[in-house]
Amino acid sequence: MQRNEEPNAIVVCRDLAKVYKSGALEVPALNGVDLRIEAGEFSVLVGPSGSGKTTLLNMIAGLDRPTSGSVWVDGQDLGALGKGELADLRLRKIGFVFQAYNLIPVFSASENVELILSLQHVDAAEGRRRSLEALKSVGLEGLADRRPQSLSGGQQQRVAIARALVAGPSIVLADEPTANLDSKTAEELVALMKRLNAESNVTFLIGTHDARVTAHAKRQITLVDGKITSDEALAGSA
Amino acid sequence: MRVWATLLALAWRNVWRNRHRTLITLAVVGGGLYSVLVLASLMDAWARSSEETTMIWVTASGQIHAKGYRDNPVAANGMAEPDSRLLSQLESPEVRAWAPRIRVQCIVQSEYRSLPANLWGVEPSREEAISAIPRHIADGRYLEGPDDDGIVLGKRLASRLKTRVGKRVIVLAQAADGSLAQRGYRVVGLFAGNLEVEDSEVETGLAVARRTLHLEGRISEIGYALQAGANLGSVTAGLQSAAPGLEVEPWTKLAPMAVAMGELANGFVWVWLCLTFIFIAIGILNTQLMSVYERLREFGLLLAIGMRPARLVLEVGLEAALLVGIGVAGGLAAAVGTVALFGRGVDLTILAQGAEYLGAGHVLYPSVNLREFLEVAFIVWFLGVAVALIPARRAAKTDPAEVIAHAT
Repeated sequence: MQRNEEPNAIVVCRDLAKVYKSGALEVPALNGVDLRIEAGEFSVLVGPSGSGKTTLLNMIAGLDRPTSGSVWVDGQDLGALGKGELADLRLRKIGFVFQAYNLIPVFSASENVELILSLQHVDAAEGRRRSLEALKSVGLEGLADRRPQSLSGGQQQRVAIARALVAGPSIVLADEPTANLDSKTAEELVALMKRLNAESNVTFLIGTHDARVTAHAKRQITLVDGKITSDEALAGSA
Repeated sequence: MRVWATLLALAWRNVWRNRHRTLITLAVVGGGLYSVLVLASLMDAWARSSEETTMIWVTASGQIHAKGYRDNPVAANGMAEPDSRLLSQLESPEVRAWAPRIRVQCIVQSEYRSLPANLWGVEPSREEAISAIPRHIADGRYLEGPDDDGIVLGKRLASRLKTRVGKRVIVLAQAADGSLAQRGYRVVGLFAGNLEVEDSEVETGLAVARRTLHLEGRISEIGYALQAGANLGSVTAGLQSAAPGLEVEPWTKLAPMAVAMGELANGFVWVWLCLTFIFIAIGILNTQLMSVYERLREFGLLLAIGMRPARLVLEVGLEAALLVGIGVAGGLAAAVGTVALFGRGVDLTILAQGAEYLGAGHVLYPSVNLREFLEVAFIVWFLGVAVALIPARRAAKTDPAEVIAHAT
């Protein structure tokens, strides 16, 4: 398997382009994106609606295939992987936090977190221990046996973060994780992600409109019309 | 193993997620299977009743005749009494009883009417062991020995002849020498229990019939009845090898209509099973497709976090296996209970006449054939799960990027 030569790079995108076709109509979503994300970064992907943030995150996650260009995650060329291998890569190296519908409603909080570990064949006792630990790290100690519908939106997002982190991924991709949350809860969630980034050195790449998120980032990548128009280092408040 | 346990837990909880829909599906699967199993039991009971009725009223387990008798059943086509070789086979442990008979076509004449019938000359003590007629005397008495010169008529035939016990009838038949034999008999008994036989058969003593038909030392047929569990084919073959000059035929050849009834019943059950399964399949397909389309976002999420598409097919397949399995178990249990209850006898008295003409008895006794029940249940379960793989494949083809984008 082809390996990326760039050390420390968790994500490398080269001349990435994606064109969606609708009949005869072609809609470019990404156009010549070059991007490199280093291990331990806490970066945000910003831009107006339709700028290509979600498309770029999906490309990095291997959920969508580029029209041209390449994506490398933790040294692996996603273009060389089949559907099953991409699923395995997501399982072991990528954590996800979406805007909504993050959890399986028939599973409790801890079962949602354990799901990842069970797919990785971690035994039940160890899975339970690690899921409780992950839930504790996101401040949900005592709510492990609650089902999603009895948790608030913020608590559900915390469970999603615990699930994203429990298997020790190389990168956590979050797409508008605070969009459905009130200000206070959103602030707390961003602070939590920032703390976990600092404590465990897990790389975060967050697609967002939310200024409260960008305020915590160390790097801001701006996408407009499918192109990176700016890529700047930020102070990143503690 | 751990993955299986997780997928099983997920499947089980998803089954009960929409209780209303699940209960409808269970009713369709369970009700469908129940109808097939109960119908199969009733049809099987009908076929068995038809076979038993044929054997006890008409054919016994089988009959032996001279060659040509079946095509032309006249006195001249008779045969000698069984020789020692045939006798040793007839006395084998697998043969419960046998009886020599004279049987010719005749005209029975009363003072009012003449009607065609079959005249049987019988040995009453032997006949009682292989025929239902001696045990179904409705009026008068049965014959008392081979020299009994009375005659026993079917109740229906007697009614049509406008005769009764104590009155005399004249029987005309062609004797072995070709002459027309005629003899008067006093009616000593009337039998009832099978409309077709009641209408066509009359019996007198074997020795009397012999004398009348000039058949000294000869008979028309030997009827034989087997012990329960004896193999009809091997006994028939044994008898045939002991009497190569005669025709030994099992009841299945003597009464092909009864066999056809059994085959028809079996075929009807399979047709019903197919029709029922089509309804079950439509029910399963409909509910599972609805369930899958409602949960596309969840499937997208599972694929996004790293579940392989094949495992998603497995999860949805497990849901179907559990759902159909519960329905099948319910239908099976209800059918076993119902058939066990029917096992005491389903009284068809109200349909008696029709049932008899179709060869069945007044009361059917359905029984639980557990092996057959389990086979049909497995077929329904297996095909039900196979049908559910269509929505399962749809689930696995979910595009996570698309469904998650639509969720936000």
